[in-house]
Amino acid sequence: MAFLKSFATVYRTSFQGERLNKQLFTLRALHKSAASEALGISTAEEEAMGQPLVTPANVGEKVKSLKEMPGPSTLSNLVEFFWRDGFSRIHEIQMDHRKLYGKIFKSRFGPQMVVSIADRDLLAQVLRAEGPAPQRANMESWKEYRDISGRATGLISAEGEQWLKMRGVLRQLIMRPRDVAVFSDDVNQVVDDLIKRVYTLRSRSPDGATVFNVNDMFFKYAMEGVAAILYECRLGCLENKIPRETQDYISALNLMFSSFKTTMYAGAIPKWLRPLIPKPWAEFCSSWDGLFKFSRIHVDKRLQDIEAQLKRGEEVKGGLLTHMLVTREMNIEEIYANVTEMLLAGVDTTSFTLSWACYLLAQNPHVQEQIFTEVTAALGPGAVATAEDVPRLPLIRGLVKETLRLFPVLPGNGRITQDDLVVGGYFIPKGTQLALCHYSTSLDEEGFAGALDFCPERWIRKDSTDRVDNFGSIPFGYGIRSCIGRRIAELEMHLALTRLIQKFTIVASPLTADVKAKTHGLLCPASPIHLQLIDREN
Amino acid sequence: MALVTVMGRLLAPVRLREYCRRTVAAVAPGSWLTGLRGFTSGTRPLRSDNKVTINFINRDGEKVTVKGSPGDSLLDVVINEDLDFDGFGACEGTLACSTCHLIFDEDVYKNLGPVTDEELDMLDLAYGLSDTSRLGCQVCLTKSLEGMVARVPESVADIRQSKDESG
Repeated sequence: MAFLKSFATVYRTSFQGERLNKQLFTLRALHKSAASEALGISTAEEEAMGQPLVTPANVGEKVKSLKEMPGPSTLSNLVEFFWRDGFSRIHEIQMDHRKLYGKIFKSRFGPQMVVSIADRDLLAQVLRAEGPAPQRANMESWKEYRDISGRATGLISAEGEQWLKMRGVLRQLIMRPRDVAVFSDDVNQVVDDLIKRVYTLRSRSPDGATVFNVNDMFFKYAMEGVAAILYECRLGCLENKIPRETQDYISALNLMFSSFKTTMYAGAIPKWLRPLIPKPWAEFCSSWDGLFKFSRIHVDKRLQDIEAQLKRGEEVKGGLLTHMLVTREMNIEEIYANVTEMLLAGVDTTSFTLSWACYLLAQNPHVQEQIFTEVTAALGPGAVATAEDVPRLPLIRGLVKETLRLFPVLPGNGRITQDDLVVGGYFIPKGTQLALCHYSTSLDEEGFAGALDFCPERWIRKDSTDRVDNFGSIPFGYGIRSCIGRRIAELEMHLALTRLIQKFTIVASPLTADVKAKTHGLLCPASPIHLQLIDREN
Repeated sequence: MALVTVMGRLLAPVRLREYCRRTVAAVAPGSWLTGLRGFTSGTRPLRSDNKVTINFINRDGEKVTVKGSPGDSLLDVVINEDLDFDGFGACEGTLACSTCHLIFDEDVYKNLGPVTDEELDMLDLAYGLSDTSRLGCQVCLTKSLEGMVARVPESVADIRQSKDESG
């Protein structure tokens, strides 16, 4: 899940041997032999040996070693993160370090060395060189919990062949835009409930117009939306009285988020210290227990329904979960694990982005009017948009892209290099933890003129040969290990934002001043966003 | 939510057949697919005279001529014909990467059918992009494309090597 990923990237990893079947990988051009690494032969020595195993892009320029790479000292990093609470400012530190040390730099977190890539071209180079089963970061603590509890790993926590197998199944179901468009009506029903929820919340506010802490509402919207697709049922998150089971799940999620730092220490604290500091690990396990329990309830319920229908000789119709349960391309434990991880990954990510999008619209009323005009012109007044309409709403797509550029919900991602690479003139041995600095590249003037301005229009193409995007802003990642829920999240956001813009004028509440971002695993609003949602005259 | 319709243990919809056809072709065979393999045969009983000839120019500049069925994507053709373009079609046509990037002549490009926003977004991330670039997974064959030429652009790795060699 996203909120743990970025942390894991910079935080807890021990170098790990590659468990994958070697034949999975075709070695690419830039690789030094693993043997030379094992023998501790430096690049310079290797060249002197007359075995130019490295084929750098610019022959003639000496490939530098990691030792020569700039970066903050171990001590200053310790002070920054533990003394000055750098964890909540990871995105800002990324920017500072980019200015100080350049496009590529190294940092140390205790025994863990991390190489940060803060340049879109270098990012492109690294991501394009990926093998068939890229590894994000060490997920040891996640795996340990699964082993202890006898549960399977899902797409976030699995690696190698196991990951590839599950990814192969799931991407054929929910990655293609046309496959996800099927869920348009289900998502729209959730949007109906979201709008009703706005009315309810507004009516409770003193001025009759304010929704306090919009993220709380969007959290429930996102959860309801993902569940409608994943579980093929409604949870009732947007109702006045939330069902008990759902409330329990939200509590488990909240425990995971609120104890975020401590649960992360759960992975960082060595096992032998656990008897002395038992709380983080215990909380980590109990929040996972809660999340799994909820998924099991819903998966088992669907399974029983299917079995009953088959017994009666009825035709079974269904969506994603039904497909997984009937085809059994994954076993039941794998289904539990993936459903759990997908729900977890699809809630706060979507809700933060929706909160930021509405905040930005409120701060930029002229942009909001421009989008409203486009929506009205494309759909006609009051019509409900479906997935099919989205291509005719380029500013809605631009709004989501621009929001994610300014507030990339995952400010940094991780990769463990699976081959020796030469990046930015440095030799990076296989097994190195990389931090991909998306926040800093998203706000880079070189890639985005007027980088701090909110301008959804920058994403609009003049024609199909007009190129507007680049590796500077890839909020869902790129390639085979990119976000599996991307198209579902986009659909949920496009349809919700279109409807909100149609129905309401979104205005900044006097109670909300300038909202800054903070990193809490994910990039999230540092203070609650209160907004006024005023009915548009139709 | 009409993604799947099941009668007993039988999976009927064409979409599912598509899934397994692609998956079986693209991923090394594993036991997890056995249950579904039955669907891979006989889905498209096409006569050979109905096929479309495609000329791929590989990264070495060599021409590879193969035939594909109308309705198949160019990625399907590369997989079905077992063409060895390193790293091609990594995400199996799910619009998550741009490794099936192909370059066409202008007159062919105009006849390739509409481009979606999602394809354009992915094309932006393709290496060696041109004005007549498309993703192979999004281009479907029609009879009017008979004899078309599709060039596989150089990959990043190739570029590094060729620089290396010339240097």
